[in-house]
Amino acid sequence: MDEAILNIQDLGKSFGDHEVLRKIDLEVHEGEIICIVGSSGSGKSTLLRCINRLEHQTTGKVFFHGHEVGDAQRDVNEYRAKVGMVFQSFNLFNNLTVLENCMLCTRKVLHLSKEEAFGRAIEHLKEVGMAPFINAKPSQLSGGQKQRVAIARSLCMNPEVLLFDEPTSALDPEMVGEVLGVMKQLASTGLTMVVVTHEMAFARDVSTRTVFMDRGYVVEDAPPSELFTNPKSPRTREFLSRYLAA
Amino acid sequence: MLNLFEITDPQNSIEWMLFLTRKYLGMFIEGTGLTLYIATIGTLLGFVLGYVVGIIQDLGSSTGDPLVKRVAIRLAKLVATLYVEAFRDTPMIVQAMIIYYGVRQAGFEMTPVVAGIVVTVLNTGAYMAETVRGGIGSIDAGQREGALSMGMSPMKTMLYVVLPQAFQNVMPEMANTFLTNLKMTSVLNVIAVQELFMAAKTVGGNYYKYFESYLVIAVIYFVLCFAFNQVFLLVERHMRDTDDYALAVEYLEGD
Ligand SMILES: Nc1ncnc2c1ncn2[C@@H]1O[C@H](COP(=O)(O)OP(=O)(O)OP(=O)(O)O)[C@@H](O)[C@H]1O
Ligand SMILES: [Mg+2]
Repeated sequence: MDEAILNIQDLGKSFGDHEVLRKIDLEVHEGEIICIVGSSGSGKSTLLRCINRLEHQTTGKVFFHGHEVGDAQRDVNEYRAKVGMVFQSFNLFNNLTVLENCMLCTRKVLHLSKEEAFGRAIEHLKEVGMAPFINAKPSQLSGGQKQRVAIARSLCMNPEVLLFDEPTSALDPEMVGEVLGVMKQLASTGLTMVVVTHEMAFARDVSTRTVFMDRGYVVEDAPPSELFTNPKSPRTREFLSRYLAA
Repeated sequence: MLNLFEITDPQNSIEWMLFLTRKYLGMFIEGTGLTLYIATIGTLLGFVLGYVVGIIQDLGSSTGDPLVKRVAIRLAKLVATLYVEAFRDTPMIVQAMIIYYGVRQAGFEMTPVVAGIVVTVLNTGAYMAETVRGGIGSIDAGQREGALSMGMSPMKTMLYVVLPQAFQNVMPEMANTFLTNLKMTSVLNVIAVQELFMAAKTVGGNYYKYFESYLVIAVIYFVLCFAFNQVFLLVERHMRDTDDYALAVEYLEGD
């Protein structure tokens, strides 16, 4: 079996005495599209933030290609450059144009030349259909456009894994489709993705594995064909029936 | 028309003002020059100091950092806080005295002007540090996380993402600080800086016409502050305008 890109072992996270993540084990292999679903407050965002080191876990370890991800700032920076993150609220840099958003980190972190950074930015902005908007500021874009730029910005780093935290939850319904479309297309290019989402159809159709989380636990981790048609846990069943009914 | 500046025998306050202005024009101009000089240099250097201290106060350390670094950060923050509090909680006129006489007593030479600049810088730095810290705090945490999540170091994140945005929020307060400094240089007369206030004091003493003499500099302060304020307002309005962007038509696809 191939070596995992990410290996999360016995991860736990508490805020004060509030246990948000408990005993999480998760492996991410190259080319996988893992969708994480679960009700609000079950710890999905916290898990992604622990993977990206925006939160520090209370217990457990995160391994990247078999090496534990350390706490030294330099190691964390290097690691994050390879494990990108797309946020629910986009987090585009408000002071910069679309093009500058896509070039800042390739210039300052990867130290690419201006030409290389520009080339990459245009390539990925084209991929998400946002190249004509290179001169716009984030405040001049719609939510769907912002999220597509944010995705392009992350792609410019050539990440090995891209984490998505509810990328469509802050969008008006008519814009959800354009972002999911871009993500489907990315999935087909073989990009490794971990996607927290409430879009059950996306999880069912696109993911290679679906993970159901509840109250800080990973309750079920299975191919979508199994998880959606034949859930093993009663909790999963209950969650899905609530969603499918809605 | 009567030439107002040719009065030789002033009869009322207005005439006295004109008389004194004409007679001591050189002194008033020099005083204005020095006031502007100290306020400008003091404010600019004070801004730099304020930004540095504000950033230090905003530093955080992660548990993964080596002990030396964490201790150093703690220490720097403590020093920054002590400095800010010391200068915010004492009057500038007292600071001027302590610094000027303190330095002399320690056996160093320091001209009143240099001492005046130092006091203005330190005072401005303390107030700006608080303003900068507030400006940094007002930037949405997502901006910082967006940069960190792609591998930017906390310092670069501060430099390229947070500070440029904080700067815009802090701009009005920076303009305000300059105007305050323009007026506050008047306290520097206590350490014999020949700025505007000192000029008025000297001129007033020559004829025992203090009221008229101070009225002259009041007019000068007013005109300076009013003019600078208008300029700052213009600049601010100009910066706030979001210009329309041009669609990059070369990348439009006909699909
Ligand atoms: N910084 C924090 N401090 C304290 N508690 C927190 C913090 N961040 C998250 N929590 C708590 O942790 C729990 C899990 O939050 P999390 O955001 O991971 O859930 P989620 O599964 O992403 O939910 P949603 O679907 O609403 O986004 C929640 O109860 C939340 O209140
Ligand atoms: Mg969440």
